[in-house]
Amino acid sequence: MTQTDTVSSEQEDLRLLRESARTLFERAGGSGRARKLRDADGGFDPKMVRELAEAGVFGVAVPEDQGGLGMGLAAGGVIAEEAGRVIAPEPVVLTIGLSLGLLRRLCPEHPKMAQLIGGEISLAVAWQERGPGGAPANATCRYADGRLTGSKAWVVGATGSHGFLVVAKGDDGPVLVLAEADADGLVTTRRAQADGSSLGELSFSGIPAAELASGDAVQAALAEAVADATALAAAELVGLSECAFEITLDYIKTREQFDKPIGSFQVIQHRAVDLNVMCEVAQAGVREVLALMDRETDQKVRAQLASRAKARAVTTAKRITRDAVQLHGAVGYTDEFDIGLYLNRALVLSAWLGDDAYHRRIWFDAREAEGAAQ
Amino acid sequence: MTDWNATSDADFRKEVRQFFEAEYPEELRHLPHRPKFAEIEHWHRKLHAKGWVAPAWPAEYGGMGLNAAKLLIFYEEQQRWGVNRGRDMGVQMVGPLIIKFGTQEQKDYWLPRILSCEDIWCQGYSEPGAGSDLANLRTRAEIDGGEFVINGQKIWTTMAHDATHIFMLVRTDPDAPKKQQGISFLLAPMDQPGVEVRTITTLSGETEFCEVFFDNARTPSENLVGELNKGWTMAKALLSFERIFIGSPSLAQNALGQLESFARGRGAFDDPVFRDRFAQAALDVEDHAALYARFADQLKRGETLGADVSMLKIWVTECFQRITELMIEAAGPDGGTIGPLQVGNVSVDVLASFYKARPTTIYGGSNEIQRNILSKAVLGLPG
Repeated sequence: MTQTDTVSSEQEDLRLLRESARTLFERAGGSGRARKLRDADGGFDPKMVRELAEAGVFGVAVPEDQGGLGMGLAAGGVIAEEAGRVIAPEPVVLTIGLSLGLLRRLCPEHPKMAQLIGGEISLAVAWQERGPGGAPANATCRYADGRLTGSKAWVVGATGSHGFLVVAKGDDGPVLVLAEADADGLVTTRRAQADGSSLGELSFSGIPAAELASGDAVQAALAEAVADATALAAAELVGLSECAFEITLDYIKTREQFDKPIGSFQVIQHRAVDLNVMCEVAQAGVREVLALMDRETDQKVRAQLASRAKARAVTTAKRITRDAVQLHGAVGYTDEFDIGLYLNRALVLSAWLGDDAYHRRIWFDAREAEGAAQ
Repeated sequence: MTDWNATSDADFRKEVRQFFEAEYPEELRHLPHRPKFAEIEHWHRKLHAKGWVAPAWPAEYGGMGLNAAKLLIFYEEQQRWGVNRGRDMGVQMVGPLIIKFGTQEQKDYWLPRILSCEDIWCQGYSEPGAGSDLANLRTRAEIDGGEFVINGQKIWTTMAHDATHIFMLVRTDPDAPKKQQGISFLLAPMDQPGVEVRTITTLSGETEFCEVFFDNARTPSENLVGELNKGWTMAKALLSFERIFIGSPSLAQNALGQLESFARGRGAFDDPVFRDRFAQAALDVEDHAALYARFADQLKRGETLGADVSMLKIWVTECFQRITELMIEAAGPDGGTIGPLQVGNVSVDVLASFYKARPTTIYGGSNEIQRNILSKAVLGLPG
């Protein structure tokens, strides 16, 4: 096979994956499903998680010899974009990027791997703590003699998860431990987020937990998994932005004022074009990043690429969802119209794992460090 | 004759790069102005001897016969090294039109003269009342015996004062039902009593644009290219490749490189606000390049580009402007100073870059016109 053939067959695989993911999400009820779940209890649908698993969604980026599909982050990005389009509340990026990203690098033999890929469980990752930067480097959460003490902040997916992968300080450096959600002495405080999900604050008072890995490998795997999840969250925002734009485009074509569709007014048209161009640039940029990350092995370069993607995606999603509300006029400000769901989801996804200003800073600093090293 | 298209992309790029790096005169790299022919004649001779004057023309007419993919590489390397395009209106505009629509006699006569730059061409499209609305043009050409008699005025004619010939869109049927009809494509010599050229001084102090006045100017009737009254459709047919070329990332990439070395020398990166704005601009350029690559791949697969390619031009020209504005910001009190500013061992002409960026959102279809096109042809918005 020539190089070109390989490239185009990869492209074809991704296209088929996109098609099946889109059909799956649409059949389940599209963005209407997100509204129902939000109005119910703010969680996600475990049945949907199993359906996604049956389609191979969670294992896309896991190597084949570890029970996945081995299609890389580029495929993860396809799933994330499709999840973003219907603002699916299921832990897609969390599982593909963070939970499986950690486990496959640290303990690929662990039975939780197969359970995650199979959609039987979901695991949230507790790696940040309050303090400057929320970085785990300042971790105060301790693990000793099979017991976990301390607290963790900003835990996404705390509601509905079966357990927590916790990064803590062990006797000999960092450890990754698994705490069950129903462990005695685990207190979870939840704060509601704009999209109906919640952000967990965990506190452990000597709860039992099982060590999965220890040493510098934990830090390294965490950095890789966070980079993966950051880039995938960017892809989710790209899908979200595209759909928010399409909804808005439909709206301005049908909404009439002064006996004309408002989309016939040039000021509206030019704004729509600008949003469309932003969307296309974001899609091209983020997809390029994911493909580059699949080929890149240097952790620093991968992290910098992930920052490029998230910076672009957040800027785009913020602008598109906010302008979308404006272009909808007063109804855009009502809960009844779906466009608001997209705005709210964009707020949450933008704040998760760093917003655009944060990632531009990280990206610039990485570029300077690289320049200084040369 | 070399079949360049049979060469691998990487080898072709290497060959082009080596030629430019070895042969292009250092003092002509990244020229901030459009040169007169005399200034670049030496380089043109080298290019001509190499057979590389017309990369897009078929080999049978003396071109390189490059396909779209190779052509893109050629232009990317040209821009990367800051190789001036030279007086290429003949090669870019007239030649392809004659090749596509001209008679055998026209091909035999004009094409070699374009390649050798014996004739130097300028483009007479815009008029005072026909800018974005080009079809509104009024310059008349009437048949009188074996000649066309031309009356009217062209404007923004780039380098008309250094051209021997003009190719122009003229109105040959004022009574046509639609203004796009009744326009013809005509070639005319500049050196005659009925043609007067006046230069226009631009904001940057350059005189590359001209007004051209026609007062009973004459050109033989065999200088009509294609059918009478079919000039509009012909001229439009040429623009499809130009639309990706005009959206290429290189102008912005080069400016970003200049901005970086200048800002570093000036200590502008000590300011966190400047750092963020630089990062924004740099990422704008990188992600634009990703989108450009997507369109370029389309061309490489042999697909034709749709109207959506216009978005490249909108993004990159506005980005280019922001980058040059950041240069001025980094210059601080020197931000209004004409000429090169020396910082360490680099010298950057901040104002020249700034001025160079201004017309990019105006020419080649202003960005507002591009937005109109995208709105209708891509988004399907009404009216």
